[in-house]
Amino acid sequence: MGTIGATLLRAGRRFVSSLPALFGVLVFTFLLMRVLPGDPAVFFASGPNAGKEEIEVIRRQLGLDKPLPNQLVIYLTDVARGNLGRSMMTGQAVAKDLKERLPASLELTLTALLIALVSAVPLGVIAALRPGSLVDHGVRLFCSLGVCVPTFVSGLLLIYVFYYLFGLAPDPTGRIDIFASLPPQRTGFLIIDFLLAGDVEGWWAAARQLMLPAVTMALFVIAPLARITRASMLVSLGSDFVRTARSVGLSWWRIVVTYALRNAILPVITIAGIVFSTMLGANVLVEKVFSWPGVASYALDALLVSDYAPVQGFVLLMATIFVIVNLLVDVLYGIADPRATVA
Amino acid sequence: MSFEMSKRSLFAATALLAVTLAVPSAHAQSRAETLRYVTGATVNTLDPNIPGSTREAFALSMSSYDRLVSFGRKQLNGKWVFDLDTITGELAESYSVSADGLKITFKLRSDAKFQDGSPVTAEDVKWSLDRCVTAPILGKAQLLTGSLTSADQFKVIDPLTIEVTLPKPDKLALPNLATVYPIIINSKLAKAHATAEDPWALNWTKENAAGSGAYIVETFKPGEQVIAKRNDAWNRGTPDKPAAFKRLIIQSVPEPATRANLVERGDADLVIDLQASDVQSLEGKGKLKVISTPQYNAVTFISMNNTIPPFDNVNVRRAIAYALPYDDMFKAALFSRGAPLYGATWADGKPPSGGYPIPQPIKLDLEKAKAYLKDAGMPDGFSTTFSFNVGQAATAEPMAALVKESLGKIGIKVDIQKLPDAQMSTAINEKKLPFFIEGIVAWLPSTDYFYRNFYTGKQRWNYSSTDNAELEKIAQEARFEADKAKYEEEGKALNAIHFDQMFQIPIWQAAQDAVMQPTVDGYVYQFTRQVDYRNLSRK
Repeated sequence: MGTIGATLLRAGRRFVSSLPALFGVLVFTFLLMRVLPGDPAVFFASGPNAGKEEIEVIRRQLGLDKPLPNQLVIYLTDVARGNLGRSMMTGQAVAKDLKERLPASLELTLTALLIALVSAVPLGVIAALRPGSLVDHGVRLFCSLGVCVPTFVSGLLLIYVFYYLFGLAPDPTGRIDIFASLPPQRTGFLIIDFLLAGDVEGWWAAARQLMLPAVTMALFVIAPLARITRASMLVSLGSDFVRTARSVGLSWWRIVVTYALRNAILPVITIAGIVFSTMLGANVLVEKVFSWPGVASYALDALLVSDYAPVQGFVLLMATIFVIVNLLVDVLYGIADPRATVA
Repeated sequence: MSFEMSKRSLFAATALLAVTLAVPSAHAQSRAETLRYVTGATVNTLDPNIPGSTREAFALSMSSYDRLVSFGRKQLNGKWVFDLDTITGELAESYSVSADGLKITFKLRSDAKFQDGSPVTAEDVKWSLDRCVTAPILGKAQLLTGSLTSADQFKVIDPLTIEVTLPKPDKLALPNLATVYPIIINSKLAKAHATAEDPWALNWTKENAAGSGAYIVETFKPGEQVIAKRNDAWNRGTPDKPAAFKRLIIQSVPEPATRANLVERGDADLVIDLQASDVQSLEGKGKLKVISTPQYNAVTFISMNNTIPPFDNVNVRRAIAYALPYDDMFKAALFSRGAPLYGATWADGKPPSGGYPIPQPIKLDLEKAKAYLKDAGMPDGFSTTFSFNVGQAATAEPMAALVKESLGKIGIKVDIQKLPDAQMSTAINEKKLPFFIEGIVAWLPSTDYFYRNFYTGKQRWNYSSTDNAELEKIAQEARFEADKAKYEEEGKALNAIHFDQMFQIPIWQAAQDAVMQPTVDGYVYQFTRQVDYRNLSRK
């Protein structure tokens, strides 16, 4: 009880101390977007006959005719009220867009991270058990391939093989077959919503749709996770307590999994946290290739057309998620290694 | 309310029944009656008048709303394209133009109903047209080009008759009413959602369609998809029956390679924005129908800002015109899919036609280019930047590389500058780019319209910042010229000035490559450069 309380207290303190950073991100992104040379009013007034007048109308609508400090104050007050502005590109409120798209991104990223962890940790362990062996080299080769092939190439390749050539995968257009009906929305995670609705067929359809993009993303992040598992396992396997465990004749499984792996897992958790945050923001290529309606492709489209509000909303969202993931990693530390709570 | 509820529960019951009874053949049946169109762009509003509307939004509005009149179609080199000269009634059963050309009277169809079942009246038409010329929306600037500027010009004669008055006879007034913007809106429905700040209910129409069109929007997810069902009561098509497809799916698929896969596997029915290389290979395989139409109302330019030195010197512009590797660019960028606007021969050096654009007698000739540079007083060349936008990179990138290489041979050093789309439009609007690739499109492609909109004034579309008094005078006169032969002469004069001054260099009209399943029939190239879903059927 005491350790959990201490962990929560620490997490709370960390969260409060990250608020100024979030505020800084907010102001910085706001200024950065305005420094960029693109003018959203000109871009969006691009009908065949749009002239000066139309540009002015849009500029007024966006509030861009006001001085910069005024704009910033208006923006901060709106954000404090939970209003992230309106996207010119989709015509919708940014908060609504992000709310609809975040579950798609999270579902994809979490599945990819799960696949990556489930394959990277055993790979790392196997490689560490026989360093320098053929297995170790095999894992190294696989990891190098995964990390050096860009995600859009591996994505297109997977589509070509599994969809185009063999027809095993469904068409790579978003989260669900366009002819299928959606489950009632509860969590926004389709594979959970389908389960809640008891629709097994729908669940299978959604899971199939998720497979290729998740594997594409996982391939890219297996390398750092497997390599860090291997390095950390090597240290742990060579340490005194493992030697002692061996000498007292504990079973292979207990030595490797209970003693060595548990001690080796801390750096893996740290990397997993970083990998997750990076994936969420940087999976734009995967989202584009698979027409996945996620937040990253939304932000990129907005950035190209200088649509300020969605980009600012996206950066704020990412910063918040980063803070939350770091907190989570802290909490997991406490569970993996009780000594961490003392510090 | 209770009616609404019962309708909804009835719908739910039917849906449930449909799901439980669904067997594979039923699914296949409904698939055949569905048109699945995939696109790299997205529909962002249901009202095409909202500033920032995308071309996909325009295309959808052609099917979700009706206008008073619409364009007919004609064959151009064996392919169906829209026909500016045939204007047929859409909501109007008939129309008549008075002898002096100042009054157009529209008689409305008596059987036309909005999608909620209420009849279309002259009051709705008046409200919709008033909105188009009064509200701060895109339609205002468009209708201006047809002398439609004020609500006073629209008069209700009786519930089925409306009269439009013009200040002078303008041949673009009627065609303007067939363009995207002057949609006829259910005014009672829209007014119910109007507010004091938003008297024309723009915020509501952005997300709700209130028209009488051939398709009823069911699902609208900006950035993802639109699903619409057929309006069975709609009879405004040419053969007086509803549209052929029962269901319409417009889906955003950003990756062009994925779109090509989808249509090749038969999962998508139609796509018009594939990469030229993919079109080439799909056409080679011969399993799909490919209809390539040169976009005859659009032009791609290599443009020069005539106010920025050294491009203010006409001989520099001529030198550039003779130093561009036209054939190589055409092959590398478009895989030769389109209509070139270079390499013509003009007998005795005079333009053979008053149309716009026409192929010009220019070709790659480095000796001539060097001579012009010498005349310009710059025999050793100069340095400049050449810009294009990221959105056009697939075609513009190889073009830019070839331009750089070729101009290098006459001593002009080119820095290639790739700009994000919004940055590019801003820089063009502020007239900051000296030398760049851009394109134009006109919904109502007549010679005077092109010259007035793209070669005069200080607005964004005058890419070359042309300021030529003679050109402006002839173009303005041509606008109201009723005599066809005279109009042709004026067109020729404009083309001659254009060639002589070489304000910018029209290089080609890229093809619109519509790739579709062999069963899809009826495709027509439209002025919006988009698909009109009402044209299509399945064999």
